[in-house]
Amino acid sequence: MVRLITHNILACHAKGCTQNNFPLQFKDASIELKEQEFNPDFLRNFLSRLEWKALVDTARELGDTSLPLEMPEMIDDEFLKNLHHVLLEIHVEEGAMICPNCGHSYPISNGIPNMLLAEHEIG
Amino acid sequence: MPTVQTVSVSDSQPQDYENEHVHAVYDEIAPHFSSTRYKPWPIIAQFLSSLPTGWVGLDSGTGNGKYLPLPADRPGSVWTIGLDRSRNLLQIARKAGEGSTIREVIWGDVLGHPWRDGAFDYAISIATIHHLSTHARRRLAVQRLLKCLSPSHGRCLIYVWAIEQDELSKRTVPTESPAENGGQDVFVPWVLKSQGQPKRKIQPETDRSPIPTSQDQEKVFNRYYHMFAKGELRTLVCEAAQGMGLQIGNQPEGASGVVGIEIVQDDWERSNYYVELRRWECS
Ligand SMILES: [Zn+2]
Repeated sequence: MVRLITHNILACHAKGCTQNNFPLQFKDASIELKEQEFNPDFLRNFLSRLEWKALVDTARELGDTSLPLEMPEMIDDEFLKNLHHVLLEIHVEEGAMICPNCGHSYPISNGIPNMLLAEHEIG
Repeated sequence: MPTVQTVSVSDSQPQDYENEHVHAVYDEIAPHFSSTRYKPWPIIAQFLSSLPTGWVGLDSGTGNGKYLPLPADRPGSVWTIGLDRSRNLLQIARKAGEGSTIREVIWGDVLGHPWRDGAFDYAISIATIHHLSTHARRRLAVQRLLKCLSPSHGRCLIYVWAIEQDELSKRTVPTESPAENGGQDVFVPWVLKSQGQPKRKIQPETDRSPIPTSQDQEKVFNRYYHMFAKGELRTLVCEAAQGMGLQIGNQPEGASGVVGIEIVQDDWERSNYYVELRRWECS
């Protein structure tokens, strides 16, 4: 399960790939929705760590348009619930993540992303 | 009682060496290994309990993921992502903890860095770096941890195996031929018993009677460890930090443009050495 909370952190680490290597782009993503306990305190404190544009763009690619393009100034419960769903309840179970810069493909199988590179390929 | 055997590592192909004596072994013994590793160590549990709500962290070398559900007193207050080299252990780590909660795990290597630099508020590396077979690789693994941490507040806890074993430990450690930096390279056997139904051998069609093999077959897997000497982990951490231009010590008052780490704890507990550190920056 690559959830968007994790996807928002992952970047390509191939040799020479230091720019435009984030966010990775989902390809052939098969998605499962799983309910997760709502924890508004966690989300409020976590918010500032997000790369907001990457999160919104990726959520839209996966068909979820509930988040605004700009992070709102007023953080209300409805916003937090949408954010909760996008970050923690959308699981990409199969597919791949493609580096927008070098094109390297990181496969996802059984919900586990394969971020391994051979040592000589690591930047 | 498993006996530890000293080895000397040939430096030429450390990666192949670790593939054979670490990664392949964990994939083979994953379920059995996991069934023996369920109790969180107190200092690590304490570290995770001390983190502010909303922090995101990395468990580099998560194994069966036993630290992913913590802190037990405030579940869900922080978010730990587990990384491991063993795909079979990750299958177990995904379901770590009680209930049906799914944990986030990444199949990766501790020498890789598939994330935005500074994206994590904390990182733990428990019983992992001692599986790397050269000093340079262990130093690089520490640098990967330092780099994934927020430069302004990132916190990190590293545990490795000590030469100095406690009397409760089931292992006996010979201390001959010390490796570089005073540590000791060893093989630690993992004995896997395959019990239960005797296996049938494939027989010609004419003979259908099963031929039982031994009821209690043992297979021994030798895992490679570098056992750390006193002071070696701290030295390693300091070397790694200095190699990245980080100062060691308390955050200076009134300075600007300086980055560093403060060693918060440096101690021995139950056959392990550990170091806790905190990153700081003066902008
Ligand atoms: Zn790339």
